[in-house]
Amino acid sequence: MITAAHLTKRFTRKRRPAVDDLSFTVSPGRVTGLVGPNGSGKSTTMRMILGLDTPDAGRALVGGRRYRELRCPLRTVGAVLDAGAVHPGRSARDHLRCLAVTHGIGVRRVDDVLAVVGLADAARARIRTYSLGMRQRLGVAAALLGDPAVLVLDEPVNGLDPEGVRWIRGLMRDLASEGRTVLVSSHLMSEMAQTADHVLVIGRGRLLADAPLAEFTRDEPFEDAYLRLTADVADHRTCPGRTPAP
Amino acid sequence: MTTDAGRGPGFRGAVAAELLKLRSLRSTYLTLAFAVATGLVFGITDTASTARHWATMTAAERADFDPVGTSLNGYEFGLLAFGVLGVLAASSEYGTGQIRATLTAVPDRAAVFAAKALVVGGLGLLLGEAAAFTSFGLGQWMLAREHLDASLTEPGVLRAVVCAGLYLGVMAVVGLGLGALIRHTAGAIGALFALAYPAYAAARSFESWTYLPDHLLLSNAATVLAQAHPPEAQPRVPGLEFALFDLALYTAAALVLGAWRFRRDP
Repeated sequence: MITAAHLTKRFTRKRRPAVDDLSFTVSPGRVTGLVGPNGSGKSTTMRMILGLDTPDAGRALVGGRRYRELRCPLRTVGAVLDAGAVHPGRSARDHLRCLAVTHGIGVRRVDDVLAVVGLADAARARIRTYSLGMRQRLGVAAALLGDPAVLVLDEPVNGLDPEGVRWIRGLMRDLASEGRTVLVSSHLMSEMAQTADHVLVIGRGRLLADAPLAEFTRDEPFEDAYLRLTADVADHRTCPGRTPAP
Repeated sequence: MTTDAGRGPGFRGAVAAELLKLRSLRSTYLTLAFAVATGLVFGITDTASTARHWATMTAAERADFDPVGTSLNGYEFGLLAFGVLGVLAASSEYGTGQIRATLTAVPDRAAVFAAKALVVGGLGLLLGEAAAFTSFGLGQWMLAREHLDASLTEPGVLRAVVCAGLYLGVMAVVGLGLGALIRHTAGAIGALFALAYPAYAAARSFESWTYLPDHLLLSNAATVLAQAHPPEAQPRVPGLEFALFDLALYTAAALVLGAWRFRRDP
């Protein structure tokens, strides 16, 4: 279980907080989607859950503890960070070994998770040669290393091919049905509508909605419900029908 | 499914990871090969050049000649690569985003930085000593033909060779500190270069008031430490004890500043 209580993060004093007094609970046994416009605070929220950003106020707990107080972080929480969180000069296998060795996880487990995500053949190639989709698969492999009860996935379908998208959808559902806690962020509404059981909508760092997916989709498609909810809070609106003057 | 029990990362896990990280990157091997190769080659050419001109050298030049220092001269160049090894150990994590994976595996940032310092400093020291003793041996072998060679049993010789290796290890730690502090590879290497070379000019600008900045320079400390017979009557170079204090000072500053910055959010 993940709980956030009055989570607040301000990067610059002049601008509004990136995350503003955000409280929610992510329960085990279902896939919870975290959605919101660009710059709404999804990634910052996830970084605070993972102990990478220190909140200015409030706290985020995983299984009742702050991430940085966990005894065995990799065995408790699996994180799919953005695909760039790797040194491109290392092979996928070496990258995972560097993480695994901190928890006494053996090379066999490394090879197992590489096979699960479909990277067995490319395991010894340097990550520099990987496509975005392959890097996402590597991120999922890293998250699965410690067989954790909680999974946090930041935009995991970015760059994945259709087969990969369907695979990760099934993977998240399987993980949730095993009783794990799954929190996934995305800005793809169709993806969320197909994957999530429960949805958290945030805008400008605040919670706009916290409800089962079915509640959103009773009267209208999820995308319409989402756009209505976030109409007033999107910071980066496009100008439809306009092209830059030549 | 596992829970939050069993063997956690701790310091040993962090050290194991840092060792594996260095071993699994090609840049580590290239940097170290460059460091040792330039040190050996320039040490050999400098020594050979002196041996060749010995017959025509003036008495003053002969008096200045230090068989130990000459054989180790190549590392004035190679030391930059030792520093770069340290810089990359920290800055490449921030540059590539790897730091986020690192800190999710070991959230104790102080432990990660300490592990980096131990691994980078230990490797720098081991390789530095090996390189210094190899260069010394080669240099003395070349000088033996002119009967100019020094032996490790003579006063000051063993100290000079050991200190030359120590200096290279310190450069690796200074590089790590700069890499952690600045977090950008180019910026940190620029600062490392400034510390190693142009700082000399800056220190000299104070000379009409004080020689203290000169005495605090790493390069001047190295001049004293890596010679069997410290140069006499040169106000710019520190004494032997002060030079050792310099090494300790730079190591401490690099570790304190690096750790302070490393513990802040990535």
